Amino acid sequence: MLNKLLKYDLKYMIKNMSIFYMLSIFFAITTRILFDIEQSVIINIIGQISVSCMFGMIASILINTMMKSWGRFRDSLYKDESYLTHTLPVTKNELYNSKFIQTLIFFFIGFIVIILSLFIAYYSKENWLSITNYIKTITAGLNMNTFFFIVMAIILIFLEVFNAIMCGFFGMILGHKKNNGKLGYSVLVGFIIYLIAQASIIALLFIYGLFDSSVMGLFKSGTISIDVNAFKTLAIIASILYLLIIYGISLLCKKELNKGVNVE
Amino acid sequence: MELTFDNNIPIYIQLLEYMKIYLISGVFKCGEKLPSVRDFATTFKVNPNTMQKALAELESMNLIYTERTNGKYVTKDEKLIKKLKDEYAITLAKSYFNGMKKIGLGKADSIEYLERIDE
Amino acid sequence: MKLLEIKNLNKSFENKEILKDVNLSLSSGKIVGLLGKNGAGKTTLIKLINDLLTPTSGEILINGNKVGVETKKVISYLPERTYLNKQMKVSEVIDYFKDFYKDFDEKKAEKLLKDLDLDINQHLTKMSKGMQEKVQLVLVMSRNADLYILDEPLGGVDPATRDYILDTILSNFNENASVILSTHLISDIERILDEVIFIDKGKIVLQSDADKLRNKEKSSIDEIFRRMFKC
Repeated sequence: MLNKLLKYDLKYMIKNMSIFYMLSIFFAITTRILFDIEQSVIINIIGQISVSCMFGMIASILINTMMKSWGRFRDSLYKDESYLTHTLPVTKNELYNSKFIQTLIFFFIGFIVIILSLFIAYYSKENWLSITNYIKTITAGLNMNTFFFIVMAIILIFLEVFNAIMCGFFGMILGHKKNNGKLGYSVLVGFIIYLIAQASIIALLFIYGLFDSSVMGLFKSGTISIDVNAFKTLAIIASILYLLIIYGISLLCKKELNKGVNVE
Repeated sequence: MELTFDNNIPIYIQLLEYMKIYLISGVFKCGEKLPSVRDFATTFKVNPNTMQKALAELESMNLIYTERTNGKYVTKDEKLIKKLKDEYAITLAKSYFNGMKKIGLGKADSIEYLERIDE
Repeated sequence: MKLLEIKNLNKSFENKEILKDVNLSLSSGKIVGLLGKNGAGKTTLIKLINDLLTPTSGEILINGNKVGVETKKVISYLPERTYLNKQMKVSEVIDYFKDFYKDFDEKKAEKLLKDLDLDINQHLTKMSKGMQEKVQLVLVMSRNADLYILDEPLGGVDPATRDYILDTILSNFNENASVILSTHLISDIERILDEVIFIDKGKIVLQSDADKLRNKEKSSIDEIFRRMFKC
C-alpha cells in the first residue's frame, strides 16, 4: 500500500512543481545564451532580467517544495481530504512514510534542478576558477579539496532544510491536538522544535569537542586557521546528528499519529 | 411498479395488502411461480427484509407456499383465493355502506346509487 | 459475530461530553436509520467508527476487529463533505479507489456515473458541489463493502436524485452487508429502513425494528421523532 500512497503523493508534487523546474532551466538557458552572444545595452538588460527570473524560479523551487510539502501533509492528514486519507486501508506509518519519502525525493530533485540551472547559466572554466579561488580564500591554510568543500556544504544545507521540514511536520501533528488555533500552535511548536534541534546539534558538537581538541579549536579560536581534519570531522558529525534528529523526529511523528487523529 | 406507502402503518402490512389484491385479481394466478424476494423488492422499491416479512405472512395464511429449491408459488387452492376475494369484497361493500350511512342514506339508496354509476 | 458492536463508547472534547455510554449492536443484512437532531452526536459516532476520531473510552468492533486497517477494508463511508483531491479528474479518482480498495467495482461505477449524467473525463474543479457529491456517492456505492455508512446522503440533492439514491441503496442490498443512513429527512427514507436508532444529546434513546415501532406507536417514524424531540 505504501507504493500506492507514494504514487499519488509523487503525482501531486510533479503536477505542482514541474512548471518551476521547467522555468528555472528555461531561464538558465536564456541567461547562458544572452551572455554568450555579442553584448549590447539591450542584450545586457534582457540578460539581467533573465538572471533575475532564473533566481526567482530557484527561490520558488525552494520555497514551494517546502510549503507544498507542509501543505500536502496538513491537507491529507487534517483537512477535508483527510476524510479519504484516514479511511483508506493503510496504516498511519505508511501514510507518514509516504509523505516523508515524497518530500525527500522532491527536495532532492529541487536541489538537482537548482544546481543544473546554475551550471547551465554560469559554468565556464573562468567562472569555476574564480569561485574556487574565492573559496580558497575562505579556506586559507586548508589543504581541502574545493570540490569536497562544496559537496559538504550542499549536503549540510540539504540536511538543514530537510530538518526544518521535519520540525514543521511534527509541529503540525502536535498543533492539531489543540482544539483552537491549530495553525498558530503548529507554527509555534514547529519553530520551537526547530530551535531545540539546532541547539542540540551545537551542544552535542561542543560536547564532542570536549573529547577532541581539534574540533574544540573551532569553537574557541577566532581565526580561520583551522585544522582541515577538524573541519571534516565537524561536517561529518553534524551530518550524522542531522540524520539522527530527522530519524528521531520521524519516530515521534509516527508515535503521535498512531495515538489517533481527531479530524474536524 | 411504484407502490405508494403510508409511513404511519407498518410497511410490511401494506405490502401484504397489495400482494393480497394481486392474488385476488389474478395478477399472480393459482399455482403460478412467484418472482424471488429480491426481484419483488426491486420492482416495488422496498426493503427486501420487509418484502420477506410480507411473503412470510402470506405463507402463514397458506396463500403461497415455498418449494425448497424452486422458490415460492401461489397456492393451488382456488377456493382459498375465492374466499379471500369474498372477504375483500365484503370489506369494500361495508365500507361503502358505512360511508353512505354517514350522509344519511340507507341500503336501498346505496344499491340504487350503485346502479346509477357507470361501470 | 455481529457486524458492528459498540460497547460503552464515550467521547469528550475539552471536557464536554459528546457521546455518553453508547452501546450498539448491528447485524448484517439491515438498512438502519441513525436519526437525531443536529448536534446529537450522529456524525461524531460515525467518525469514531471510521477512525477519524479516537474514543475517550469504550470499544468499537467491526466483524470482531478493532478499528484499523482491516475494518477500513470493509467499510464504505460517505461523509457529509467533499473529500476528494480536486486536482483530479473523475477517471483518476476511479483509478485511485480501484488502487486502494480490492472490492471496488469499476464497471458499476461507470454505470452509475452515466445514470447520473456525470462526465468521467471532467476535472473535479470544474464540477459544482452537488456534482462532486454525486461522484462521491458513486464511489461509495461501487464498493462491495460489509458496512456502508452514509452521512446525510440526501442533503443537497434534488428529489429525482434522492429517489435514485434510495433505489441504488436498495439494489445494492445483500444479506452480508448493512447500511447505516444518518439523516434528518426521515419521511423520505423511512419506508426502506429495517431498524431505527434515535440518538439525542450523545445517548442512544431508542433502537428498534421500524415496523414494530410503527405498530406500537401507530404513527410514522417521522411523527414519533417529532413527538419525542419536540422543541
